[in-house]
Amino acid sequence: MQEAVLENKYVPKPAKIKEYHRESPDNFSITLDIKFKHDPGQFVQISIPGIGESPISICSYSGENLRLNIREVGNVTKALGKMKKGDPVFIRGPYGRGYPMQLLKGNDVVIIGGGCGVAPLRGIIEYIEHHRQDYGKVYLFLGFRSPDDILFKREMDHWKIKYNLNLSVDQLPPGTCFDGKVEFITKLVEATQLTNQNKVVFLCGPPKMMDIASGILMKKGFHEDQIFVSAERLMYCAEGICCHCMIHEKFCCKDGPVFRYDELKGYKND
Amino acid sequence: MATYTVRKLDLRSLLQKIMQSSELIAPVKTDLVRFQVVEDPHDICLTEQSFYPVKEFIFRKHEVLVSFNGKKVITPVLEPKERVIFGLRRCDLNAIMHQDKALIEVDVNYRAQRQNLTLIGYHCNEAPSQYCFCGTLELKDFYDMMFFDRGDEFIVDVATENGSRIIGKYPEFFRKSNHKVTEADKKIKNADRLFKTDISKLYDHPDWQKGVDKCLSCAACTSLCPTCYCFEIKDEVSIHDTKKVDRVREWSSCQLKGFSRVAGNHVFRDNRKERFKHRIYHQLDYFKKRYGINMCVGCGRCITACPTRIDFVDIINGMK
Amino acid sequence: MTKPKVGFYGLTGCAGCQLSVLFSEDEIVSVLGLIDIVSFPFIREKNIDQHFDICIVEGLVADKHDLETLKKLRENSSILVAIGACAHTGNVPAYRHYTLKENYQHLLYEKKEGIQDIDPTPLDSWVKVDYTIPGCPPDKREIMNFIKALLLGKEPLTYSSPVCVECRRNNNLCLLEEGKLCLGPITRGGCNSVCTNGSFECWGCRGQTDDANIPAFVALLQEKGFKREEILKRMREFVGLKLPESTMVFFNGNNNA
Repeated sequence: MQEAVLENKYVPKPAKIKEYHRESPDNFSITLDIKFKHDPGQFVQISIPGIGESPISICSYSGENLRLNIREVGNVTKALGKMKKGDPVFIRGPYGRGYPMQLLKGNDVVIIGGGCGVAPLRGIIEYIEHHRQDYGKVYLFLGFRSPDDILFKREMDHWKIKYNLNLSVDQLPPGTCFDGKVEFITKLVEATQLTNQNKVVFLCGPPKMMDIASGILMKKGFHEDQIFVSAERLMYCAEGICCHCMIHEKFCCKDGPVFRYDELKGYKND
Repeated sequence: MATYTVRKLDLRSLLQKIMQSSELIAPVKTDLVRFQVVEDPHDICLTEQSFYPVKEFIFRKHEVLVSFNGKKVITPVLEPKERVIFGLRRCDLNAIMHQDKALIEVDVNYRAQRQNLTLIGYHCNEAPSQYCFCGTLELKDFYDMMFFDRGDEFIVDVATENGSRIIGKYPEFFRKSNHKVTEADKKIKNADRLFKTDISKLYDHPDWQKGVDKCLSCAACTSLCPTCYCFEIKDEVSIHDTKKVDRVREWSSCQLKGFSRVAGNHVFRDNRKERFKHRIYHQLDYFKKRYGINMCVGCGRCITACPTRIDFVDIINGMK
Repeated sequence: MTKPKVGFYGLTGCAGCQLSVLFSEDEIVSVLGLIDIVSFPFIREKNIDQHFDICIVEGLVADKHDLETLKKLRENSSILVAIGACAHTGNVPAYRHYTLKENYQHLLYEKKEGIQDIDPTPLDSWVKVDYTIPGCPPDKREIMNFIKALLLGKEPLTYSSPVCVECRRNNNLCLLEEGKLCLGPITRGGCNSVCTNGSFECWGCRGQTDDANIPAFVALLQEKGFKREEILKRMREFVGLKLPESTMVFFNGNNNA
């Protein structure tokens, strides 16, 4: 058992920022000069030596230049936010279990996202763009705090034409313009006539929003195995050993970050 | 493989010989019994359970995973030296096996520490501590050699090539024996204490609160646990040259609030009760679901070292 | 990169924290390559005090002069850092708040030296403090890590785990088991358990953790024969005015237990 050579899994690959785009006051997207195969919903560990590592979900399509959408909340993400085109970063991954898109062929797709939770969901939209014939109707429910906080504004017009897009903001500061609804996104979900017929739901956002949204879906007759959620936890190794991301016996970095709703049932607060 | 006997009065000379070609690690008594690199075999203490486990010699407290010099990535060169650990109890040995299950196929640093390492056990005839509870945990035979204490002599069971190599190197100390090690030899008196080994249905039991109320969240339990292997990774920058960075691993503990704190300051296991239960469940339920075996080895160190002596074995036994 | 202008100052205190900075022998020369120490009155005569990017202040406010100095330093500093237990909590001098004035009045310098006395108070009672490096004295590694973090644009790490974490990692014998009144389990670490490594019990100089289980800890100490007053006194001694409200409520709430 001890003779076989094992690679050092903590060694990251160098990459450069190819494109930097500010999405909102505390959120930006970067495209890197590296490409690899991955599933939508998987994540990478991005790092800056001296600052640290941070797990970020991938929002680009497999095999294309890696694109990440990042909210500036911690040391690493704030430092990344100050970077510019050409700056070096380090990447390891992809990690985790993404959305099981293959198994869900033939279904209509309902995507419900709140705030920076929309980032991993963008990966699904990208995936569907590339496999449009495999899926039925696509409903997008995307909610943000205010018009300023709306992410992927560049993509939004395109999504509006191709899919059934429902966009809302929680609040409209005085003097701002917005042509969507001013309401919690969960309210828009509640107001729709969606039935659970041939549908899968992808849900990602703040824990409270996910709770409310899943409650509403259950009331509408959706089954737990039709809903997929993406969980967030503190992660260091991403290899299923450091134990920080455990949700009961599940490792968010290995068994997740994408879980079918019934896999996490009753685990929300532990 | 084979069984031998060693005269007790020859033990120190044998260990002295081993020390000439390998580093020897064994329980040494000073103010406490700890596993240490042995300088004099006379210091070795086999009459008590070691207070601190052997863990730190294999799963290091602080270890460089990868280094950077500006944009250059430097992979540490790992050169494991010859080491022999003597005096491992059945629980200590199983703890190494359990850490192996989680780490050896994934983590190159851990794997290096496990290389060139010979594990020599010292079997308990009787539970060395009142808090021991290995008896009902189905521990396995996991050792290169195991010493069974039989008064004036040891019966030595050799299980691996590594073990045979020691016999081959120092044949003068070993006499071939016809004794076949049986289950009776492996029985440890007074170690049957945990009577419910399936706790999967007890998560919401109100009795956990008895332990939670006394828990100081000081993390002594996880530090002293021979199996706990949680860690965190951080970057250490050299003050002499800020381009030089070591990305290091350090032990961490699920009993601490910061363990599940994400950027933005949300703590997923904010509640002491959830943290307390997480440790017990990882030990006696979650690990089993993943690796088919309980992580806990029943050494009882987490109880011995707990300032308030939270005996979760009693708590579990008392659950209706 | 222009080097940040840094000042080191001491108000009323023992200068031990400033010494901790100086005692980082292996690092201090390298530190000078990273920061520009424009002022350090404790060790040199010529100092420039117009503007500091970072001003690190030891000691507490105990007289009018301290207060004037502190206010001026605050005005001249982008980042003000309280270093050490006095600046952080008020430390031992602030124990005065817990005794009657007639017990110490005759000791005040006021009458003798014309010093205008102020009740000893930590820095944040008077000015905004941006960061705190706790400890009596602070750990030199922590001082270096703090400087490095600021230079790298990182949020300096505030160590939140109890002293026990490091103490156990240092393979020590638990001093509670030795019958000592050790505050390790409720005190935030980061000190590498320097006291308990030398078998001296923790007096809690770095302040309580935000996760201290006071009822369980006090019950344990009482079981070991310590009196409530004794425990409260120990808890107050080094955390001065920063004993958490909940701890006070616990001790005031059921005096007869």
